[in-house]
Amino acid sequence: MNGHELSIAIQNCLTVFPEYADELGDLDQALGDGDLGITVSLGAQAVIDALLQLPPESKPTEVVLACAKAFANANPSTMAALVAGALLAGSRVWGDAESIDSEMVNKFALAAAESISQRGKSQVGDKTILDAMFPAAEALRETNSGADRLDAAIEAAERGVITSKELQSRRGRASWLQDRSIGLQDPGATAFLRFLQSWKASNTPSRAAVS
Amino acid sequence: MKKIINEPKDFVDEFVDGILLAHPALLKAIGQDRRVLVRADAPVSGKVGIVTGGGSGHLPLFKGYVGRGLCDGVAIGNVFSSPSSAQILEATKAVDGGAGVLYLYGNYGGDVFNFDLSIDMAELEGIRTRTVLGRDDVASQPKERAADRRGVAGIFFAYKAAGAAAERGDSLDEVAAIAEDIIEHTATMGVGLSPTILPTTGKPSFELADDEMEIGIGIHGEPGIHRGTLETADEIAEHLTERLVTDLGISAGDRVAVLVNGLGATPLEELYLLYRRTHQILEAKGIAIAKNYVGEYATSLEMAGASISILTLTDDRLALLDAPAESPFFREV
Repeated sequence: MNGHELSIAIQNCLTVFPEYADELGDLDQALGDGDLGITVSLGAQAVIDALLQLPPESKPTEVVLACAKAFANANPSTMAALVAGALLAGSRVWGDAESIDSEMVNKFALAAAESISQRGKSQVGDKTILDAMFPAAEALRETNSGADRLDAAIEAAERGVITSKELQSRRGRASWLQDRSIGLQDPGATAFLRFLQSWKASNTPSRAAVS
Repeated sequence: MKKIINEPKDFVDEFVDGILLAHPALLKAIGQDRRVLVRADAPVSGKVGIVTGGGSGHLPLFKGYVGRGLCDGVAIGNVFSSPSSAQILEATKAVDGGAGVLYLYGNYGGDVFNFDLSIDMAELEGIRTRTVLGRDDVASQPKERAADRRGVAGIFFAYKAAGAAAERGDSLDEVAAIAEDIIEHTATMGVGLSPTILPTTGKPSFELADDEMEIGIGIHGEPGIHRGTLETADEIAEHLTERLVTDLGISAGDRVAVLVNGLGATPLEELYLLYRRTHQILEAKGIAIAKNYVGEYATSLEMAGASISILTLTDDRLALLDAPAESPFFREV
């Protein structure tokens, strides 16, 4: 996949992703301050606008950096800053490459999750986005065959979302609820799952909006 | 609670407003929420920018040290709360003169989290940053764990030296190295005699009996090493100074700078009692005080108490302390 193809895939995904904004906003309302819906809808639009400005010959890293900058500035929040930092960390793995393969996607996913872990001082089990990201990154690494990779990642992320429901939130505003957070679904982990599902739904040949 | 305030929720915005009205020639606000202040001539082209920040309630820390020869910008949090990463980024962009930006602030979890997030966003804007943490409070961790210590009044020395280095045109790496060098050779310890009262809650941060003091207290009312019977000024000076001398490993022939800092509700007279005894103790040990500061440099709202900071000097460090500086709260001519 070259930079232009990556840009198109991201735009397709982010056209669908805001359909989940209300769900994510409601989950965040129960555990945090409820701004995740806005972060997702404003962020998705800002990223699409930024990608439309990029020249088609942009490298994959340049595409990702444009996404990170647009997302961080669209609705400044801790979540937006963590995601921007994660994209930055992932893009470093790609360097100047003209196109990316499965192996590079795996490395990107792991570097992105590790960035959030380090900046947010969180691990799997703290009931954060990492409960979906790390298992998904692991599933990508273990799945070789092209068609099944995204399905495996989605399945792993979904398991993470379900498992973390019964955990207590350890980081951010949600941690203030202490044991009242048990049983509630984590909005960050859910957002990551919905992003993967949006990618699948929008980038399968029958539904691709742009090509 | 007895305070001269209006609506508690407006406390921070209103004192920031007051500072801006009082010092329009020295400072300007950035952003709609006015929680970022920068020196009036920012950005200074070609100069390393220095951004600090943290919770409110410590004036002159942190916003008092924005000015020529000091920091370039500050991100202002609520009382005892970190500013957001977006505010820190705003400060970063406003002071970047093309030579990079040093983040210099106290070692507290919330501040570290938000400044670290801003590092990535600054990089996306093409601004290189370095980070140096104030961690001078010897009471907060033993020497083996000095990297985990809290930052308190001693960060003033780092502002002064790093600010002077940036002003004379040092590179980002050089300014960061100077800030790090100062922090490594600075030690602070304080005593608290009465609690802080947060404007929003109206409640004291801790309780102390009339004849008690908290030794090794933090600037948010964090507990110290132990609680003891209130001592005389001379005894307090002796205990604090001995601990600092040991921690820094200084002895006869060394030169130092001394900062006696009031925590908010202790009169200058009492601070000079502490300075007097500190001076006598160091003199008796053959340690020369080449530079001294007595007054309020890092407070904790209306907490009564004081801290003593000592910086081991070299010719280079002293020259940086002696360089000119000007902010609404501090001047060196």
